[in-house]
Amino acid sequence: MIRKTVLIVGLLATAMVATLLLSAGSPGSSAKTAQPATAEVKVDNFSFGPPTLTVPVGTTVTWTNRDDIPHTVVSTDKVFKSKVLDTDEKFSFTFAKAGTYPYFCSIHPKMTGSVVVQ
Amino acid sequence: MSVNPFDPKTVLLAKHAQHVVLIHFPIALFAAGVLFDFLAQQTQRRGLAEAAYFNFLVAAISTVPVLATGILAWQFALEGQKLKGTLLEHLVLAFVSTVMIWLVWWVHSRGRRRPEPLPNYRLAIEFLAFAMVGLTAHLGGFLSGVNGPG
Repeated sequence: MIRKTVLIVGLLATAMVATLLLSAGSPGSSAKTAQPATAEVKVDNFSFGPPTLTVPVGTTVTWTNRDDIPHTVVSTDKVFKSKVLDTDEKFSFTFAKAGTYPYFCSIHPKMTGSVVVQ
Repeated sequence: MSVNPFDPKTVLLAKHAQHVVLIHFPIALFAAGVLFDFLAQQTQRRGLAEAAYFNFLVAAISTVPVLATGILAWQFALEGQKLKGTLLEHLVLAFVSTVMIWLVWWVHSRGRRRPEPLPNYRLAIEFLAFAMVGLTAHLGGFLSGVNGPG
C-alpha cells in the first residue's frame, strides 16, 4: 500500500515538473521573445539629435519634436515623410534595408540628419 | 547645409525661400507709411501725407506676391496638409493683416478724392493693422527660426 502511494506521488511530481519545464520553454514565454530594435531621435533647438544615427536593419526609429515650433521629418530620397509634428508629437519609421538615409525638416531645410542602417 | 534666403540663386530655385524674402517689403513699407501718416497728422505737411499714401499703395500691392508665395510654400514644403497650431495662426493673421493693409490704403485713396480731410479714426485702424502685421511677422519669425534659438 505504501509503495503504491509513493509511486503515485512520484508520478504526479514528475508530471508537475515536466509541465513546469514545458511551459517555461514554450514559444509564448516572454523571456525568449525577441524584442524589435528601436531608436530615438530628438528634434530640439532646430536640430536633430543625434544628427547621425547608426542602427541595425529592422530598427524602428522614432522622432519626437521637443521644440516649441512645428517641424517635419522628410527623407531626401523620398523614402519616408512625416506630417507636421507639433510639440511632443512623434513620427516612426522602420528601416528594412541597409543604407544611408539622409533627411531634413521641410519647414527649416537647414535642419538635416541621417540614419545609417547596417 | 545652410540656406541663405537672400542669395539670388536660392530665391530663384528654392521652392520655399521666396516668401521669407518678399515679406519684408510690405512690412517695411506699411510701417513707414504709418510713421509718415502720423507725422503728416502732427505737422500738417502735405509731402508726408503723399509719402504715406504711396507707401500704403505699394505695401498693399506687395502683399499679393507675399500671400502667393506663402501659399506656395505651404504647398511645396508641407504639400498642402491641414495646418494647425502656429502655422494656422500665422496663416489666419496673414490674411487679417493683408485685409487691414488694403483697408488702410482704401481709406487714404478715398480721402484723396474728397475735399474734406482724412478722418482721424484712420490712425486707429493703421495702428491696429500695424499690430496685426507685427504679430504675424513675429509668428513667421518663430516658424522660420529667425526669432528662435536656431
